[in-house]
Amino acid sequence: MYSYIVRRLAFGALTVAGVSVVVFVVLRILPGDPLVAIFGAEGFTKLSEAERAHYMAELGLSDPLLVQYLHWIEDIARGNFGRSFFRAENVAEMISRRGPLTAEIGIMAVILSWIVGIPVAVISALRPNSIGDHISRFISIVFLAIPGFWSGMLIVLAALFWFGYRAPLGGASLFSDPWANLQIVVGPAVVLGLGQGAYIARMARSSLLEVIREDYVRTARAKGLSRRPVLIVHALPNALLPVITLSGILLGFVLAGSIPVERAFGTPGLGYAMFTAVSERDIFVMQNLVFLYAVVFVMLNILVDLAIAWLDPRIRYR
Amino acid sequence: MTAADQSSTRQPPQALPTLPHSRWQRVTRGLRLFIRRSPLSAFWGCVAAAIILAAVSAPLLAPYEPLKSDFRAMSKPPDARHYFGTDQIGRDVLSRVLYGSRASLTVAIGAVLFGTTLGALWGLASGYFGGRVDIVSQRIIEFLQSFPDLVLAMAIAMALGAGIRTVIVAIAITRIPFGGRVIRAVVLSLKEMSYVEAARGLGASHLRIMLRHILPQCVAPYLILATTHLGVAIIIEAALGFLGVGIPPPTPRAIWPAPARKP
Repeated sequence: MYSYIVRRLAFGALTVAGVSVVVFVVLRILPGDPLVAIFGAEGFTKLSEAERAHYMAELGLSDPLLVQYLHWIEDIARGNFGRSFFRAENVAEMISRRGPLTAEIGIMAVILSWIVGIPVAVISALRPNSIGDHISRFISIVFLAIPGFWSGMLIVLAALFWFGYRAPLGGASLFSDPWANLQIVVGPAVVLGLGQGAYIARMARSSLLEVIREDYVRTARAKGLSRRPVLIVHALPNALLPVITLSGILLGFVLAGSIPVERAFGTPGLGYAMFTAVSERDIFVMQNLVFLYAVVFVMLNILVDLAIAWLDPRIRYR
Repeated sequence: MTAADQSSTRQPPQALPTLPHSRWQRVTRGLRLFIRRSPLSAFWGCVAAAIILAAVSAPLLAPYEPLKSDFRAMSKPPDARHYFGTDQIGRDVLSRVLYGSRASLTVAIGAVLFGTTLGALWGLASGYFGGRVDIVSQRIIEFLQSFPDLVLAMAIAMALGAGIRTVIVAIAITRIPFGGRVIRAVVLSLKEMSYVEAARGLGASHLRIMLRHILPQCVAPYLILATTHLGVAIIIEAALGFLGVGIPPPTPRAIWPAPARKP
């Protein structure tokens, strides 16, 4: 097990290094002048050559690319995530203030997706191709197809026009003001959780139907146990392995999905910060946020792999 | 369904007593069989066809110009003149949705054609050659896959600047790893087949083996992958548009950003 952990972590470190290169290539080297990004096409044409050179030098953009890259890595290693072009707050503060909200949303969404998805899958798998199965599969397809930010906007508008309700503005931490915090977080978490629940339900259904065919399930049935306890007590735990893998991956996608959803709800989380950075074309903030998202994504994948290896010893020796 | 029906659907086609002769008969027979076997798929297939048809014939179907404002009818709810109502500056929403579906479909199809295909070809080469080429490309694909789709697409779209081509490229790049992974796995099992070995024994070049012998076998998994990712691409395009890095404003879209709010 330990050698597996070490191997997985080493690969993770390599991946993070590769990811930093991809982020750098995308945001700094791809065609597209950072000054155009900052000043806009119109503002850029108004700048004189000297001004352009001055700004480039001030931003450290006239150094060779390799030097720029190393500077960036050095800054990150020191915990210095730079600051926005347009606002006083530095990025590290922003992450520590807004990050917890998005993390809460993600975790709540995944928990919710299990609470909704697993029972639906069990109902489906108890009687495959029955009416209940068809209805639950239809509903899960619908939730797969609807973008979260759209249903999010509908929820916000409905709450506003029918009940005159709006979630509190401004961040509230879980510990100082749990009630306000819950009101902020619950909307995005429900929207994202239902979307992920659809994936979970589909995955759990097919994996249950596969496990049901195994010998030990037949033995349990032959012992005289009825269908339902066999499915829930014997088949379900084994059927959940792929579901755990999926929800680890989904947690990463929830983080990405929360960008438009937070924008729809106006939640002051990290996703909204990402949206602001994109609309302000704030490339340095964007660079660090994208890198942060990718690192979190990689770490989640490692955690899921380790959890699976811990739950299922067959995998460690593969 | 009678017992005779059921037995006829279970038997392989060549064992059927009467083989239909003309091509048309065979096509309609195949279609009927498909509809009977999976009516749901047939129904949703029709829905997809209707959407594509609506997008293609948008100029014929749209009751108004998608970009023309009617200042006497702004922010109107749906009524007999505007079936979907009008937006804040009096443009007909139905026409905008029809024209907008064109942009969405163009982006999705473009992104999948470009990205998934590139990924698939890459996967083909990497799986076929194996060894060092394979290890390096697997790592690169892993790096690309370490981003949530939307985050990578946002970063690329922002770096390249707004435009329909940018959005296609941004989404296409996020599709590359999926094509690469899936097709590589298929190729790994295919290249051990004895007919591939036979082709090599006959002196076929690598390129010929890849294109003539392995590629045709990859078409089915590729099509499944491509159709799934069409849906994903449409949703990413919508999210990019919603976040303001999609296709720039004058082009009508199915989803357009909420009015910009100054922070």
